[in-house]
Amino acid sequence: MEIIARPKGGNVDRMAEKVFMKSIEILGGLKKLVEYRNLTWLPSLAEAAYVIVLRNEALKTYSEIARELGITEATAKNIATADEMKVLEYVRGGLEERPKEHVAGGIAKLAYKALKESGELDVDEVSLNDEMTEILEIAWAVQVLSKIKGLDFPAGKEQLGERLAGILVKVRGGEYRIEELLERIDYPVNGPSELLHKLKMAASS
Amino acid sequence: MARYYELKELETKAPKLFGIPTGTKLDDMFYRIEREGDRYVRKPLGGIPHLAVMNITGVPDTGKSVFAEQFAVTQANNGYRVLFVTVESPANFLYTALKQKAEAMGADFSRVEENIVVIDAAESDELRENVRALIDTMAYAIREKKTSNVIIDSITGLYEHKEVMARQIVRQVFNFLKKFRQTGILVSQKRSAQASESAEAAGGLAVAHIVDGTIVLDKKLIETRWDVNLYGLPLGEVLRTVRIDGCRLTAHDSKTWVFEITETGLVNIISPLSDYVESKIR
Repeated sequence: MEIIARPKGGNVDRMAEKVFMKSIEILGGLKKLVEYRNLTWLPSLAEAAYVIVLRNEALKTYSEIARELGITEATAKNIATADEMKVLEYVRGGLEERPKEHVAGGIAKLAYKALKESGELDVDEVSLNDEMTEILEIAWAVQVLSKIKGLDFPAGKEQLGERLAGILVKVRGGEYRIEELLERIDYPVNGPSELLHKLKMAASS
Repeated sequence: MARYYELKELETKAPKLFGIPTGTKLDDMFYRIEREGDRYVRKPLGGIPHLAVMNITGVPDTGKSVFAEQFAVTQANNGYRVLFVTVESPANFLYTALKQKAEAMGADFSRVEENIVVIDAAESDELRENVRALIDTMAYAIREKKTSNVIIDSITGLYEHKEVMARQIVRQVFNFLKKFRQTGILVSQKRSAQASESAEAAGGLAVAHIVDGTIVLDKKLIETRWDVNLYGLPLGEVLRTVRIDGCRLTAHDSKTWVFEITETGLVNIISPLSDYVESKIR
């Protein structure tokens, strides 16, 4: 028996934002749009992202979507029914002529499907991409937190060693094996934040 | 733009009339009339009408939740997905109640468990206080879990301290269930001061005008010698009754029936009140 204890599916704005960002990613990133002077696509993409989310997540009719977004019913329908594969082919240069499909609609549909399949559409937490975590030197912290999920605190050296083996900790340009750092910290460790702090101090000293 | 239909156009859109079993004798009390040769015959529907939104009402402890849970277990055991919105009892308590019901009904609990999705509005202020958030969450559950039945126990809990909003909230929920093609059971609490034969008995606050039909559960305490003689029950006993107050989707039995809640916690409808009284007099 599945229990839903928190409101779901209602944050249309957040979902549309995600579809919008994913659409830009599919197009090669914001930088590519700047390079090709395609920034005029952005308003259409934003509109299409909302249409796709309202249609598929809030199950609104075309007339409801048109009223909500201030567009015509025909536009809402064109966006929602665009053939995404044809649009993708066009964007990648595989078609000489621009198809009749709503281009932004097709891209937003691809983005929506990708997010839906990966389960990212309903996830609320903010996620950083790999590049960002690398730059901020926090990849090790993310790894540590994911590996200690469900571990009871206070925790001892042995329990932590088993879970965290193999992680490389990068602090101020230096790289350390977590096993070495675990040798240098005091036990017991009372919680995740204390663990991160102790590891960081051990690496800095 | 004005929109209208030629009646013929609606033929394909009209829902088929058949019964959705509740696991109680109430299933035989909804019927339709079919022509067989020269005569018309009464055919039991076998449940509440498909896609109906029914209001189950009564004063506290008349068996409304028992009925709703029995319906949920029956549907889930038959392989249909049920969305149960619990507003009064936290989800973990509902789990225990459904498990007991399933055992008493001889249902396969693993199957029942698999087919029921619960929205716990009892423990979430936002879901209970914000109807929009609840409806969005129900839409999510219906779409993702492919449910075909929705139970809200109780709808009254969504407007208990804002009764002026009752009609608006019930209307929103009703329209939502219609749009998402769900058969619905809305449990609503009636105040003890509202007499069972009055219009308020059907949920009060004109809620009954919105829904497709109302089932009224009632209980009578045997407290006078006259009651003892009439009902053949000892002083202090409780006589439970059920009646279909109205249903706009199909014909139904209009008698008041006597029922009991069995030791195992199931609704068992016994006989029409008139027959029951007659049998006791004899």
